[in-house]
Amino acid sequence: MIIQIAKDILITCGISAFLAFILTLAQKYLNNYGICKIDINGKRSIDVEGGSSLLNSLTDKQVFLPSACGGRGSCGTCKCKVVSGGGPVLPTEKPFLSSTELSNGIRLSCQVKIKSDIRIDIPEAIFNIRKYRAVVHEILDYTYDIKGITFKMIEPGQIDFKTGQYVQLETKPYGKVKQKTVRAYSISSKPQEKDRVQLIIRLVPEGICTTWVHNHLQVGDEVNITGPYGDFYLRDTKADIIFVAGGSGKAPIKSMLEDLQVVGTTRKMTYFFGARDVKDLYLTEEMYAYEKVFDDFKYEPVLSHCNPECQWDGKRGYVMPYFKDAIIDPKNTEAYLCGSPGMINAVTKGLKELGVPADKIYFDSFG
Amino acid sequence: MKETPQESKIIARMQAGVITLNGFLGSDTRHLHEIIAEDAKVLSALGTSQSEIADRMQYFSDASFESYDTPVFIEDNYEVETDVVRGKLPCPFSHAGLYRKTLTTLHNRANGISVRWTALSIHMIREHGFFEGIGSPFRLDPQKLYKALFT
Amino acid sequence: MTISSFVLFWAAIFTSNILLTNFLGMCSFLSVSKEVESSFGLGVAVFFVLTITTGLNYLVYHLILVPLGLVYLQFIIFIIVIAAFVQLLELVIERYAPALYYSLGIYLPLITVNCAIFGVSLFMVIRNYSFVQSISFGAGSGIGWLLAILMLSGIRSKLKEKLVPVGLQGAGISLIITGIMALAFIGFSGIVNVQ
Repeated sequence: MIIQIAKDILITCGISAFLAFILTLAQKYLNNYGICKIDINGKRSIDVEGGSSLLNSLTDKQVFLPSACGGRGSCGTCKCKVVSGGGPVLPTEKPFLSSTELSNGIRLSCQVKIKSDIRIDIPEAIFNIRKYRAVVHEILDYTYDIKGITFKMIEPGQIDFKTGQYVQLETKPYGKVKQKTVRAYSISSKPQEKDRVQLIIRLVPEGICTTWVHNHLQVGDEVNITGPYGDFYLRDTKADIIFVAGGSGKAPIKSMLEDLQVVGTTRKMTYFFGARDVKDLYLTEEMYAYEKVFDDFKYEPVLSHCNPECQWDGKRGYVMPYFKDAIIDPKNTEAYLCGSPGMINAVTKGLKELGVPADKIYFDSFG
Repeated sequence: MKETPQESKIIARMQAGVITLNGFLGSDTRHLHEIIAEDAKVLSALGTSQSEIADRMQYFSDASFESYDTPVFIEDNYEVETDVVRGKLPCPFSHAGLYRKTLTTLHNRANGISVRWTALSIHMIREHGFFEGIGSPFRLDPQKLYKALFT
Repeated sequence: MTISSFVLFWAAIFTSNILLTNFLGMCSFLSVSKEVESSFGLGVAVFFVLTITTGLNYLVYHLILVPLGLVYLQFIIFIIVIAAFVQLLELVIERYAPALYYSLGIYLPLITVNCAIFGVSLFMVIRNYSFVQSISFGAGSGIGWLLAILMLSGIRSKLKEKLVPVGLQGAGISLIITGIMALAFIGFSGIVNVQ
């Protein structure tokens, strides 16, 4: 009787074991893509284990393609040109790709699974992008809703960037927020200080990252930063400069001015800082101090919401009406704007009306 | 009806901390379907539609787009201001596309009602009939919104 | 049983349609029938699983269970065979048809517990089919299931722009349509009776 039961149980287990064995073999064969080669730009070749997405495989090898959604297939930022070996275009990619892009072999790298050797083309600037472990070195309260945070790089210990570029800061889970997110901020410190970056961060209502930075981040906390990104930079010419940036848009301008102080310049510069009210002003003394450092620099804060009673005897209203006094030779003037698309539209119109060429107006619009 | 896997994914994306700090559902205990259906009933009782409301919101957002830092006065009655911060947000309904972080605040001087919305709100109302759950910081009550926009 | 396999094949599609006559396999039928393309994909997957697992279960039943007196374990063994085969199918689809894999999502592994699959294997035992009859019956049932889900998804996609009363939207109208389709299939029942 017991032998009978044992025999029956053994046979049942035998059948299950046999099927499990078949499945294990299948899994080894079907899910194993072996080592695949990624050929980048025809110049560099890296070996990765197949089965992961192109984006993740590249990230593992320290090649950082931009991604706003962390590889979840919802932003379309990770586009890259796949010359061969990417497999068929998936339905998850199609909504993000125009027909021109599809015919040029552009794919979403977070959706392309590496199953065989693959050849891709990516811009050279990507190779300078690294992932950094950094620690919070200093937190300065600039205004009621703006903080200046300095991060010191630990690993790698140095970062190479141009003034005007930005980095992506990774948040850690906190409170209700269970996953990490990534947000972009312009670098506000000078590139000569290679071991650190300062970011100027304004608290945004309902913002996942800014709430974390303002309410939870402390000196000594470790963070992950990726960068540098962006092509908003100061052109190396002799033209006059008009800077227009308010709020946290001051960050790239601060970086540019600190850098110019080190390398020296004789260019005529005017910085219009548009703000609503007296309480939105910050780093005012430092900016006025530049008027003594440079041969020809003027700092012009302009307040739009200052009611007649408020303590302000400076310029009021919008910045545009004050341009004509600052622009001497419109054809030889460059403008650097950092702010919301609305501001950039309005200011660009004003500058063009005064004769500044459209191709000399550079902006870092907020995406 | 059982929830499809897509709907579970959408509701997961609406939770606090995934796309925005407090999510899109607030403290509402109703299912996503019910929230949309009941708000739709209010819309038809008011005699308006998702696209009519969304168009009106877009009209105000566009008119105030360039006047950063100051409100504009539209039609002598509406005080509207639009502020934009850097970055884009995806729609929780899991289709392609990113929406600018535009915040428009409207104050109706005649009846004193103030409402605020984002570019994502306009899209969610127009395409999905979704006004967000009760308790969500950006929930737009259809009745209040209608009164603010049209009267 | 002396019914020809050929007749059994056609009967499984029309007169004894596993879904519309026996009402087995309804859950993924109702959920996935929202879109025609994924319905077709799922239907083909169900067809493969039905055909092959019915054959496999026949072999296991007659070559292992009966000779060794383990017939009383047929439920658990059939389920294990079906589960293993569906697992294998998922691995293959993920590798060779990733687009289909994404569009089916969770409904692919749910084929494991689709009662139509288990039901067909049990019918095969109860009605004492031969190997060829089992394969024909499994294949026919698969095609019958595919046909039913294609019809429902086609009708539902046409209904998208029509005015369905609010209370009936979704599950309500789908069930009504399924009932009407089942009624229509009763019209075939005079042709041949196999159950």
